[in-house]
Amino acid sequence: MTTTSSVAAPVDSGLRPIRVRLALILLGYGAVALAACLLAPLVGTTSISLARAFDRSIPFADNLDAQIFFLARLPRVLAGAVVGAALAAAGVVLQALLRNPLATPFTLGVSAGAALGAMLAISAGAAVGIGALSPVPLASLTGAFVAAAIVYTLATKPGRPMSTAVLLLAGVTLNSFFSALILFVQYMSDFAEAYRTVRWLMGDLDVGGVAPIAAVLPLVVLAFALFAVLPSSLNLLSVGADTAATRGVDVARTQRIAFFGATLATSAAVALAGPIGFVGIVVPHLVRLMTGVDHRITLPASALFGAAFLVGCDLVARTVLAPVEVPVGVVTAMIGGPFFLWLLVRKA
Amino acid sequence: MAARAKGLILVALAVVAISASQRPATRIVSLVPALTEMLFAIGAGPQVVAVSSYDDFPPEAARLPRVGALLDPDVERILALRPDLVVTYGSQDTLETQLTNAGIRTFSYRHGGLETILTTLAELGAATGRTTDAARAVTNIRQQLDAVRTRVRGRSRPRVLLVFGREPRSLRQLYVSGGVGFLHEMLETAGGMNVFADVRRESVQPSSETLLARAPEIVLEIHENRTIAGAEADRERAVWGALASIPAVRNGRIHFLNGDYMTVPGPRVGLATEAFARALHPAAFQ
Amino acid sequence: MVLQVRQVSFSYEAGNGFSLRDVSLTVERGALTGLLGPNGCGKTTLLKLMAGVLWPEQGTIAFAGRRLTDIARRELARHVAVVPQETHPAFDYRVIEMVLMGRHPHLGAFALEGPDDLAIAHDALAATGTAHLAARAYMSLSGGEKQRVVIASALAQQPEVLLLDEPTASLDLAYQLEVAALLSRLNRERGVTIVLATHDLNLAASICGTLVLVREGRVLAQGATEAVLNGDTIRELYDVDAEVRFHDRSGHLTVVPIGRVR
Repeated sequence: MTTTSSVAAPVDSGLRPIRVRLALILLGYGAVALAACLLAPLVGTTSISLARAFDRSIPFADNLDAQIFFLARLPRVLAGAVVGAALAAAGVVLQALLRNPLATPFTLGVSAGAALGAMLAISAGAAVGIGALSPVPLASLTGAFVAAAIVYTLATKPGRPMSTAVLLLAGVTLNSFFSALILFVQYMSDFAEAYRTVRWLMGDLDVGGVAPIAAVLPLVVLAFALFAVLPSSLNLLSVGADTAATRGVDVARTQRIAFFGATLATSAAVALAGPIGFVGIVVPHLVRLMTGVDHRITLPASALFGAAFLVGCDLVARTVLAPVEVPVGVVTAMIGGPFFLWLLVRKA
Repeated sequence: MAARAKGLILVALAVVAISASQRPATRIVSLVPALTEMLFAIGAGPQVVAVSSYDDFPPEAARLPRVGALLDPDVERILALRPDLVVTYGSQDTLETQLTNAGIRTFSYRHGGLETILTTLAELGAATGRTTDAARAVTNIRQQLDAVRTRVRGRSRPRVLLVFGREPRSLRQLYVSGGVGFLHEMLETAGGMNVFADVRRESVQPSSETLLARAPEIVLEIHENRTIAGAEADRERAVWGALASIPAVRNGRIHFLNGDYMTVPGPRVGLATEAFARALHPAAFQ
Repeated sequence: MVLQVRQVSFSYEAGNGFSLRDVSLTVERGALTGLLGPNGCGKTTLLKLMAGVLWPEQGTIAFAGRRLTDIARRELARHVAVVPQETHPAFDYRVIEMVLMGRHPHLGAFALEGPDDLAIAHDALAATGTAHLAARAYMSLSGGEKQRVVIASALAQQPEVLLLDEPTASLDLAYQLEVAALLSRLNRERGVTIVLATHDLNLAASICGTLVLVREGRVLAQGATEAVLNGDTIRELYDVDAEVRFHDRSGHLTVVPIGRVR
């Protein structure tokens, strides 16, 4: 049974070889993401001229077009790309880990912890930061890691596979509990602080420069490094944990890597821009509709499409009701809600 | 004869009713810190029996019992104090209905511009029977404002960004004054030109792009809860370096104004306006 | 022998009684062995232990003379494949994708299958008679087709040993016969060693050359089917009175249950 049999004529499986498909996907979705990142900074409430923005002869201090392009728009688009890619990829990974296509990066309580951390920092007027991490993102990261630690401890026994049932339950419980605490903190804080916390919860990609992005980028890079080794194992894991084990997958290790990677990506994204919902569930679903369900394809494709998607949503957010800005989380929700209704109707 | 007697009784009752409604209030509960300050400024302090959770000026007010605020007024405590006048926010409909049903007079207040402050002072004077003191307070404030206007007259008006809130150590969640409201009017009186004067809202949350486009020459940051000075002020000032091309940042014209009276539309508004003017036109005060 | 289980004991929860107690059995190369016993007797647990999914608390399990604990998971997967009782993928994979997953133990970490792997997958599909289903969505198949696809994906691992847990439990009669015939053919023509856990006495009687009878975590008897399968052992195993007879037309033993033993 160790030599290939020369029996069967090639079977029509309806799929091109994986290498070809992967290359096509990376090129295609990569082009879309790149186009989004290049075109989005050109659009905004103030009309600017690209030629003027890149005109080196005008001193930067006098070149408003350049200032807007490089100081306001470009960081915003970069933040959108990083957050979009991180949330979409985390969504794919968590859906595989929990064997549930309805899981989101926020299912396991990470964003609730991040939100609580941010709320406390906003209400207390905290002013302690670390390097380029200002107080609220720092507190948000702390809250996220605390929540993840709680969930992890509840769902893990050393050396054994994690129990997905316990993971889900712990996440749901933590979400409820932290949400209650968040409401309490909001109620106890004074009016202005309460409004600020509400505003933070809606998400905001106007991060004010490249520094905040650079501060969380190491976390995102680490998360993607962890994601890189997962896709094939995620395929097997999503068929069944025992089956995956009998095919050579180290289930416990795969689960832990998936959990940590998703936690890192989600924490970084929420710390940078607040909890922007729907990206982590709409993008994986859309991508699956277009590319099939093989994680080796859907993971990179979702990351790229997620970047483009969020950059696009942010573009809508800052131009549709100009000069008033709609919070980007509201735009993603307005797209996500109807999308899922449509999916439901389609299935029914 | 019976008809004329009835008519006389009716008129007598009407006179009694009218004068009853105009009887000066002797037990006042105030839920609005600005109006608490006004009451004390017109000498009606002794008549105030309770204040809101956020009242801390003047010190006498801070010592009074507290009955909640905009979102959580404690109706039971208010009723237990047997007030004859309760100062409320215009949006507290439920509370006002409850009080009216209990036969208690309410004074409903909504934020407005500088003129609203002055008319409110006068109205409070009438309600508390201290019309003369109120008139004096109004004149006082007018004089302070006029003095500021005189000092800054003729000087070119810089484009100003008036910030009353942002995340510490970051430019996120920036809240600035729009072209409506007392903060805006204080700024204009103090000889500044609000970069967001065209926005018909009291508060604006501008994006980085908008800030760059509006290019203010001076940034005034109000900190009513904490005093920002020294090294901390330098750190917070440095945060604006992210938008280094804004004229205010380039020329180092970022000023911190500390003090709770900066954001209270009350009797100290003249002082606050003068503080604005000192920051905008230091030469005028030498 | 290819698989040896030596005095293995296992319990799912410490202090809650043993699922398997002092179990020893030997599987010879090329055998088609049935693990027979009532529900909850420990058959599935035993299969999982033999596949290296669970570790025994006492005793050892060896594959080709090497202890399972000494063999890397991936390497073991190249020799031993498991067909679970039910497979419910969380996502809507195609048949070819399901089968190609069986190539995972043979591929590197960034597992992208090549033309050789595709050829092996096609071969596995052909062997199970499911080649015409390659492009179909797995979840759209019938029960029998699904089971055969899962067997194909196990075959794609190119294992020497195939372990199956109740392969016909949820199938219609026709499909039961189909799968039984398939397993028999794989054993005969390709020399795959097969161990299948079942509570279906007639299935075991029809294709298994050797049987291991398991009751309440202990081995009751093991050996050649004709020697082991008789009225006495069945009574001890199932508390059922049954007649075991050789059936001329089908060519193997059949079991006819008569009634419960009081």
